[in-house]
Amino acid sequence: MSVNRSGSILAVDFGSVMTRTVLIDVVDGVYRLVARSENRTTNDYPAHDIRVGMNRALQAITEVTARRLLDEQGKLIKPEKDDRSGVDFLVTTASSGRSLRTILVGLVPDVSVASAIRATAGTYVDVVDVITLADGRDDQGRLNATLLNRPDLIFIVGGTEDGAEAPVLELAQGVRLALSLLDRDQRPAILFAGNTSVQPKIEALFDDFAQLFVAPNVRPSIAVEVIQTAQRRLAQAFDAQRSLRGGGFEHIGEVSHTGIQPTAQSYTLLANYLGETIQGKGVLLLDVGSAVSTMSAWLDGSVTTTIRTDIGLGHSAMNTLNQIGEAAIARWLPFYPSRDEILEYVLNKTLRPATIPETLRELYLEHALLRAGTTAMIAAAMPIWRKTVIAEGDMPPFNLIAVAGSGFTRTGSAGFAAMLLLDAAQPTGITRLLADPYGLLVALGAVARVNPTIAVQVLDSSGLEPIGTCISVSGHPTPERTVLKVKITLESGEVIKQNVAGGHLWVYPLPAGQQAELDVRVTGRDVHIDGKTRVRMTVEGGAAGLVFDGRGRPLPLALTPAERAVQMPLWFSELMGLPVSEIDPQWLVASATAEETPVVASRKKQEKKQRQPKEKKPKEAKPRRGRRGSGPVIDIADEDRFDISDIEDDDQRDSIMSELDELRR
Amino acid sequence: MPFYPDQRHLLEATTIRRERHLPEFTAGKVTVAQNVSVNIREIVARGSIASAYHIIEAGQSVRLKKNEDISEFLLIDLNQIVDAGTPLAARPKQRKPLLAPIRGKVVYASGSRIIMQETSEEIQLEAGVEGKVIAVQTGRGVTLETYGTLVQGVWGNGTLVIGQLKMEPEVGLDHIFGDALSMKYRGTIVVTRRALKETGLVTMVEQGIIGVIAPSMDAALIPQVQAHTSAVMLTEGFGDIAMSALTFNLLTKFADRPTTLDAYTPSRWESRRPEAIVNPSSRAGEKTAAPKINLALKVGMQVRLTRLPHAGKVGTVINLPKSPTLLDNGLRVLCAQIELVSGERVMIPLANLESFGQ
Repeated sequence: MSVNRSGSILAVDFGSVMTRTVLIDVVDGVYRLVARSENRTTNDYPAHDIRVGMNRALQAITEVTARRLLDEQGKLIKPEKDDRSGVDFLVTTASSGRSLRTILVGLVPDVSVASAIRATAGTYVDVVDVITLADGRDDQGRLNATLLNRPDLIFIVGGTEDGAEAPVLELAQGVRLALSLLDRDQRPAILFAGNTSVQPKIEALFDDFAQLFVAPNVRPSIAVEVIQTAQRRLAQAFDAQRSLRGGGFEHIGEVSHTGIQPTAQSYTLLANYLGETIQGKGVLLLDVGSAVSTMSAWLDGSVTTTIRTDIGLGHSAMNTLNQIGEAAIARWLPFYPSRDEILEYVLNKTLRPATIPETLRELYLEHALLRAGTTAMIAAAMPIWRKTVIAEGDMPPFNLIAVAGSGFTRTGSAGFAAMLLLDAAQPTGITRLLADPYGLLVALGAVARVNPTIAVQVLDSSGLEPIGTCISVSGHPTPERTVLKVKITLESGEVIKQNVAGGHLWVYPLPAGQQAELDVRVTGRDVHIDGKTRVRMTVEGGAAGLVFDGRGRPLPLALTPAERAVQMPLWFSELMGLPVSEIDPQWLVASATAEETPVVASRKKQEKKQRQPKEKKPKEAKPRRGRRGSGPVIDIADEDRFDISDIEDDDQRDSIMSELDELRR
Repeated sequence: MPFYPDQRHLLEATTIRRERHLPEFTAGKVTVAQNVSVNIREIVARGSIASAYHIIEAGQSVRLKKNEDISEFLLIDLNQIVDAGTPLAARPKQRKPLLAPIRGKVVYASGSRIIMQETSEEIQLEAGVEGKVIAVQTGRGVTLETYGTLVQGVWGNGTLVIGQLKMEPEVGLDHIFGDALSMKYRGTIVVTRRALKETGLVTMVEQGIIGVIAPSMDAALIPQVQAHTSAVMLTEGFGDIAMSALTFNLLTKFADRPTTLDAYTPSRWESRRPEAIVNPSSRAGEKTAAPKINLALKVGMQVRLTRLPHAGKVGTVINLPKSPTLLDNGLRVLCAQIELVSGERVMIPLANLESFGQ
């Protein structure tokens, strides 16, 4: 498919740590990714100007492509010249910097305010207060809330289209009175997205008084919600606030065709596109950044985007710890952390967010933070996804998960990314895993604002880096008993057969760009792949290959560091095809202050719930990767296996069942 | 493609430009003009943090009639600070005027309402360095330029002090003892090359030490250190990390010199760093170059190693391989080969190197 060339495009995303640039142009009649580069974001000391980092990244593109992008003064050449120097369009996104401090003002918390909160998803908004007629405060309380919270934006909603005007006006007048006590340049912007009939009066109240954005009513009726325009106005407010805060954003905003858009809105757009394109059950885009983490999920035809400014691996590492607690991180460690070890690791990461672990112990700490932070994000989003969840506590069966953020994508090995994703996201069913190490999704989301066709072409032609395809067993497979009978038919006609035991991973190294026919049978009680016991389909390979995860869902992560010291290196070796890297025995000596992490109140009960065979010693650890590497399969005598139906006492059985449900939740 | 490492400055003589701003959300006034010279203790801005507002329904007290406005009956000026009980408004000859319910200023009077804002404590912003005001940010603060020695840290307890720089005795900060007559560390900023311990904090209080520059400390001490009135700046991080020899030697050179220790607590939203600035006595007015912003990593450059197992060590770049290196922990990343002072050669991820600046 060839296209008319409508101009070259440079997309720049300013993250908290990295500035990523993507150059897009027509190659062989199709828009493609021409070059990409990245450099440190430089809004901090000593440059205090994001253009410095952007120009370094652009120089790197020039080195690779021999295409000049900057003039002698270091300014972007725009539009493109006859000698192909410069670009026609610049689109910019940002997730760095402070969120928009926002006060929501509305009539009813459960109606218009709830819609306003959903509208804020996709923009970096920190809701510092919610003022409603039902909030129990008097005029003085609302006045103080409005002024002392020092908002950047006041987002006023309320009133259905045929509803009364007076209550909305009353709230708006209260806002006007409060803002009249501030100097003009200190007044926050106003976004009105309430009853349309009140709009002229709102304009009269705030025109020439504060910056005013207007959008259609987010809740025209009780049953209808319209938030798209309000989201675009929020993005404009975000752009305006960025420009006010300096650091070079004001100059970038002037030359960008889109202004500075919130990075997260790109994910929303792309999740929607990918969801509609693949026509599967779900798409998940997950970006765990340094300061902010974003997750856009397409399920049942609609996208929900979650932005977490309290989850991150660098600037927000300390916020992550505060949010999820040390126990959640220690749960992923195959050793006893020494006194304050987690806290000190996290503090040092916050102080130097771009650094990476050099020792194995610190790598475990980093990945524990990543796994626990991602798990917390997903758990918080579950209630929204619940309607499509096949089993309580399980992830929805996403057909595609694309992951961004250095923690996942800059390990130098797709196997690492796969391992981290499988542990943290615990996908169910059959899931294609993709990595986006250079921020292509964000760039294309921004490009889509200029020309959606170009974004689609680039995604199809250049794409993301395939990690592989994961086939995950849900339920509780019996450890060491066959749970998957796998038959892979390659394009060459060669057939590979393999049994995968419960509690283990097995990888077939099908490279990227190759397909295979898969026939998988699930064996065992109450175990399945996305509700099925047999799956036949065509799958694609990737840098990590086809990953068969027979560990079960929820993941039966051991409860003690000593057990995890056997379990985690074994899983890693199975996935990477490397020898098991044994944990230093010294790490398993609990210090006086480092007790076993009390993940749950009663470990005994937990052990029962996870159906670990009693008194079973960890078996000899051997890697089980590769097309012929089946690994040892140990049969467990039937009498040794725990089965809930074996319990005769109804009360006891119900009690255990309810605890199991609680655990899954 | 060049790699630009983070810069954490350790510069003996440099031009230093610093914004000195009132805290965010503070309404204030700059008290110095552009291009004037300021001394280290000079107040450059004053302000107050926003305080609570009180709405006074004045209609009934003043017996307002229709079409009358409370502003016609005010007995004080807008923005005038008044004590609680001061008459605010009254009709002519009204025997019981409306009294101020709080100490504060009237910020609004219209219709039947008066709004008062409580007064808050004034914040005075000191220059902190000897230098020149090169820009004024109205209502917020100033940008100052000075020349001197700059030692940046990674964390501070949020306190700024000005005092004489002293090196700890050989036995360490924890072992400074003395009575009232021999307290030579009173009012000084002490440099220790060992991790700060709880005993060190006790010594600080007992000896009247106003600031400490230490390489590291236990994270568990944070609440105590934050409650301290003295300034504490860490140069390396949390844990038990020794101070790099380069940092210690430079600070030793400036012992007994007046120093500003701005133990700023890093914030996600501010691009400021904790730092110690030693103003020169003889070079005042002498022009030195400002730190270079575009400082690419190259062979021969001295760098600080920021992560375990080499955190705090200084080395020299001897090779910059173009392809990623496999680390012992399994990560494969771009690295530089570094020669440590001990002669040991190690491969360090580029992301874990800091430049000292030029």
